[in-house]
Amino acid sequence: MDITTIVFWFLSALALFSAIMVITRKNPIFSVLWLIIVFFAISGHYLLLNAQFLAVVNIIVYAGAIMVLFLFVLMMMNLENLPVVNKNIWMKFLGVISGGLLLCILVSTSKSAADMNLKTIIMKEGNIGLIENLGKVLFTKYALPFEISSILFLSAMVGAVVIGKKES
Amino acid sequence: MNALILSAVWGIILMFCSILVKNKKAIGYIAAFGLLTILIGNIAETYGTQITHYNIYPMLLLDRFGLFFNTIAILSVFIFVLLSLIEIRKTGKYEPEFYTLIFFVICGITILTSYQNLLMLFLGIEILSIPLYILTGSDKKNLKSNEASLKYFLMGAFSTGIMLLGIALIYGGTGTFNLQPGTHSVVGTYHGISFLEITGLIILMCAMAFKASVAPFHFWAPDVYDGAPTPVTSFMATIVKVTAFLAFFKLCEVRVTDTLTAVNWKMIFAVMIVATLFIGNITAIFQQSVKRMLAYSSIAQAGFMMYAIFSLNDVAKEGLLYYAMAYSLATIGLFATMSKIKDYSFEGYNGLAKKQPTLAATNAIFLLSLSGIPLTAGFFAKYYMLASVIKTGSYTWLVIVGVCFATISIYYYFRLIQAMYFKTGNPDTIDHEITPFFKNMLIVVAVFIVLLGAFPQLLLNWFYF
Repeated sequence: MDITTIVFWFLSALALFSAIMVITRKNPIFSVLWLIIVFFAISGHYLLLNAQFLAVVNIIVYAGAIMVLFLFVLMMMNLENLPVVNKNIWMKFLGVISGGLLLCILVSTSKSAADMNLKTIIMKEGNIGLIENLGKVLFTKYALPFEISSILFLSAMVGAVVIGKKES
Repeated sequence: MNALILSAVWGIILMFCSILVKNKKAIGYIAAFGLLTILIGNIAETYGTQITHYNIYPMLLLDRFGLFFNTIAILSVFIFVLLSLIEIRKTGKYEPEFYTLIFFVICGITILTSYQNLLMLFLGIEILSIPLYILTGSDKKNLKSNEASLKYFLMGAFSTGIMLLGIALIYGGTGTFNLQPGTHSVVGTYHGISFLEITGLIILMCAMAFKASVAPFHFWAPDVYDGAPTPVTSFMATIVKVTAFLAFFKLCEVRVTDTLTAVNWKMIFAVMIVATLFIGNITAIFQQSVKRMLAYSSIAQAGFMMYAIFSLNDVAKEGLLYYAMAYSLATIGLFATMSKIKDYSFEGYNGLAKKQPTLAATNAIFLLSLSGIPLTAGFFAKYYMLASVIKTGSYTWLVIVGVCFATISIYYYFRLIQAMYFKTGNPDTIDHEITPFFKNMLIVVAVFIVLLGAFPQLLLNWFYF
């Protein structure tokens, strides 16, 4: 068992454990803190898969910016006065069934996917995930989606102004 | 590509109109003019004239089917804008932004009708839905509109996440984002098809069914359609839904046919069709509000459009185009009339035929078309859908189910006709908004529906020439 395998299993276990902690905590602030750990573990996975740039962006954008924003919002809201969430036992039951079915499908897929065993991942080497390659692909093969996503952001910006503007 | 570029440009122009144009009444007409140019640009592209010759092939492929659908969709938006000029002005305070978002939705439509890459499918669906989340909440002072917007946004964002999961799994299974899966060369797979691809497809289809409000992913639709401002509901329930179906069809046409050896897709789609028809039609019967009834009726109509995705043949292709036209026009007309009536319940329509005979007569034609009575476009739309199933040669019982539910739908559509013609009352209409132009537009739409019903080949001949 070499060091990458150990790191992989450690990161996987950490990600799964913290993800479970995110959804079981009563206090949302703890949930957010655990979520930051999930992001760090996933960034570790990206590093293992030669996606250095993605790992850095994941930490800066998600763990850094978005989660801090989350925490600010949570701290500004008065959590004491939040209405108690309706906990209907049947809803829980149905939720467990549908979630379990999805889990069943995913587990059986990954278990019976023989083609996955034949694929190996290049680890520790290669510069595939460097920003230079990303830029090259983005401005050649994926130029059209890259340009079109600007329309998406523009419409989101128009929407933010429409929704956020104070009405006299 | 013409329509995509022009609609993005017009969206930006309309954005600047909010500071540059002082005359508020002009904005609607500017938008209508913009739609006209997009329509002309798209028709020009159908016959080979392009603005740019940018190489878009691996991402988009502009075929006749997609371009023709663009024409139908843009024409429907044009009619929608002309019919709801006054309502859009009244909804919220941001009329130019409203049109801007509609133009961006058209961008999404043009992407979805021509995508060749799952990445473009994702972008198209997002460009289609994000403006809609905002449009749904554009009536900011109205609590119901806010609630609908938030609900739609949360559910839509969640379904987008599911969609991305599906696309990621498909990528894992086939190693490509292309719509065309290429060759299945991996050994040790089930019927030569990767399990990851199948799981990804199922998950992706759940997300697409959500966008098209097909049961069992329809739960958001009645609340959102009911809460949104009426012009937005009209836009969402018709053009956007039909486009989602087209994208769904394009996806299934390639991927379902490709994986048919491994998955019994026909059975899955048959179950979805029956569930959608059942829920849409049976729930619509019990509604007291016309707006909510139309929301459920749009789910029921989605069930009929699912027939095209079930059979995936040439008749289904033609039928989907025809259905898009017939369903959109009739529903846009109904919603436009509804926004002129203050009371949305069935009682609010009592005696409309006495007070506004034009509105009542055109509405009757729209309702007849939706229920599929011969000599209206709705009849042939349903006919093509059922014929496509018969052509596949299996699952003929689906046709019988479809006919039964079409019969049930007559009950709630005719209830509105009954309220308009055979009940006495004084409907509370907004008279000063029912201009001669509005009436004439309604008559034009109604005549168009009857023409399409009498000569169904009018539309489809144009598709082939």
